Amino acid sequence: MTERRPIRKILVANRGEIAVRVLRTCREMGIPTVAVFSEADRGSLHVRLADEAVHIGPAPARDSYLVPERILEAAARTGADAIHPGYGFLSERADFNRACRQAGLTFIGPPPESQEAMGVKTSARRRMQAAGVPVVPGSEGPIADEAEAAAEAARIGFPVMLKAAAGGGGKGMKRCDRAADFAKLWQAAKRESASAFGDDRIYLEKFLDGPRHVEVQIFADEHGNVVHMGERECSVQRRHQKIVEESPSAVVDAAMRAAMGKVAVDAARAVAYVGAGTVELLVDSSRSFYFLEMNTRLQVEHPVTEMVTGIDLVRLQIEVARGGRVPSQQEIAPRGHAVEARIYAEDPARGFLPSPGKITYLRVPGGPGLRDDSGVYGGWVVPPYYDPMISKLAAWAPTREQAIDRLLRALADYHVHGIATNTHYLRAVVDHPAFRSGSYDTGFCTTFAKELVKPPDPALEPVALVAAAVAAHRRDHDRAEEFATRAHAPSTAWARLGRLRALRKVEP
Amino acid sequence: MTATTYVALLDGGKREETLQVERVEPGVYEVTLRGATHRVDAYHHDHGTISLLVDAESYSVQLDERGNGMRVHLRDSVFPLEILDERRARMRRAPGRLTADGLLALTSRLPGKVVGILRRPGEAVREGEGVLVVEAMGMENEIRSPKDGKVVEIAVGAGQSIEGGTVLGTVE
Repeated sequence: MTERRPIRKILVANRGEIAVRVLRTCREMGIPTVAVFSEADRGSLHVRLADEAVHIGPAPARDSYLVPERILEAAARTGADAIHPGYGFLSERADFNRACRQAGLTFIGPPPESQEAMGVKTSARRRMQAAGVPVVPGSEGPIADEAEAAAEAARIGFPVMLKAAAGGGGKGMKRCDRAADFAKLWQAAKRESASAFGDDRIYLEKFLDGPRHVEVQIFADEHGNVVHMGERECSVQRRHQKIVEESPSAVVDAAMRAAMGKVAVDAARAVAYVGAGTVELLVDSSRSFYFLEMNTRLQVEHPVTEMVTGIDLVRLQIEVARGGRVPSQQEIAPRGHAVEARIYAEDPARGFLPSPGKITYLRVPGGPGLRDDSGVYGGWVVPPYYDPMISKLAAWAPTREQAIDRLLRALADYHVHGIATNTHYLRAVVDHPAFRSGSYDTGFCTTFAKELVKPPDPALEPVALVAAAVAAHRRDHDRAEEFATRAHAPSTAWARLGRLRALRKVEP
Repeated sequence: MTATTYVALLDGGKREETLQVERVEPGVYEVTLRGATHRVDAYHHDHGTISLLVDAESYSVQLDERGNGMRVHLRDSVFPLEILDERRARMRRAPGRLTADGLLALTSRLPGKVVGILRRPGEAVREGEGVLVVEAMGMENEIRSPKDGKVVEIAVGAGQSIEGGTVLGTVE
């Protein structure tokens, strides 16, 4: 490993599970760390796990985690020489990346130029077209005017997708089925995009029917090496948010994997990429694939790739940022199958309403082949300001079927009290015949919506009632008895002694 | 020892079940429900977890207590319910049920920001139709009308930040 640049202290410019994830690898590598936190996150797990922590502002992300100056000030104050941006927040902001460079800090990620080329989704599409990579039909660039956008949508043909030019992660993304809904969805997409990315530019894409969302993990170093690490199947999405991901994909065979890998590597080379990146592709029912976008950062679902390849992607990010090399393509040999489910603080029974609040009790599963990437702990109050994902639970096994069974078992052992979570919903997803068969597409959650949110099983209701009644009885009577025993114990003892003496007196 | 009677409220109070519970020895109860009596061996594990042997069937039950109510987790089912002793159940029945007559408030349980107002005062709404849009935790959620009627008041403006539980408007 050639190290051109030392990294002596890393500031993690993020919160929640991904901050915890990055801090864990830093700890393993013996690198001192700095956490940053908003007013709402003083008690957050990532603050506790870092060597130093700096308060960077009020609870709303736009006043704290999204303010580049606050992050740079925190780095200057603590003497950090590198920034790990995680995902979301500032991770794909080329201006922040450049500001880090100007401040003499190492940004653990690609160069700002690569982010600019891929960051604005519309210019990325043009570039990929030029490189001969097929793209989904859509508008040439972002559209400023609502009326013009509505006309463009009609030209492309409904349904269309409204997408944030600066976007990712489903934020600011809307599906529009008819002209009548366009105005409402256009406004909503602009607002969500502005609040999530500080950029409200929207472009349009044709909505492909029944596509699968498959993405390829790539890794590049500054010595010109680019490798791919296989694919992740991310078609199980709700409101454009991925909720279950797996690697490998059931639809991809060795020849297709090689073809996709080549496209992904070419895409990375086309923008002189360095570091970890993900090329997202849409796969249609005839298994043709189209470039969707490139995410120029670590992906939420990176653990499934780590589980099948055995590679710590965060460690490799840090090594590449120091000037190190990526392994050769031959050294990357995925093994077995991994499935991940995202655990959200939300209530499926109430329309998936976010459910922030205090976690009164938390017990997480263990056993072979499991990984829980959590950002919370029992007693923590999940704040209402950020993404409601609290953890990612992943299972590895030699075969897909065993990995699914393992994840099912583990989800049943995941207990969170005080707030609602989607663990039962995730079990219904993973156990659904369409998921088990491997033939599912991005319409999965909508198509099977009714089967996935199940009412409680009436056959179990008597047992639930018995449990509640017995607990109530124990609470009421045990406490009363305990109180009575304590309150009366001394007088009873004196009374017994008195009776004993009385008896002795009458004895001859 | 005599049996204690409990009333369980299900489906948000729309349904009731009555249970008699009698402790026969420490951790062992006789529970009568729907005319059948079961011998129940209840072992309390850590906070919130009970291992139940009902006759011979084994169940691991999670009790997630929320204020007066609780959510009982059992296998893939969650039963939100409230359990009351007889006296409290009687008191609860006395004042009569809430009805959807008159003014009802529109509230957001979550703090966030009002990003859209879909209905103006005086406009008619149907139950379940969106009246306002609130952004919380990065996602937009519609605040829906709890009944058929008309909007009486919208108490907030677009762009306004709100606390959880704020009254955003009223519907009659």
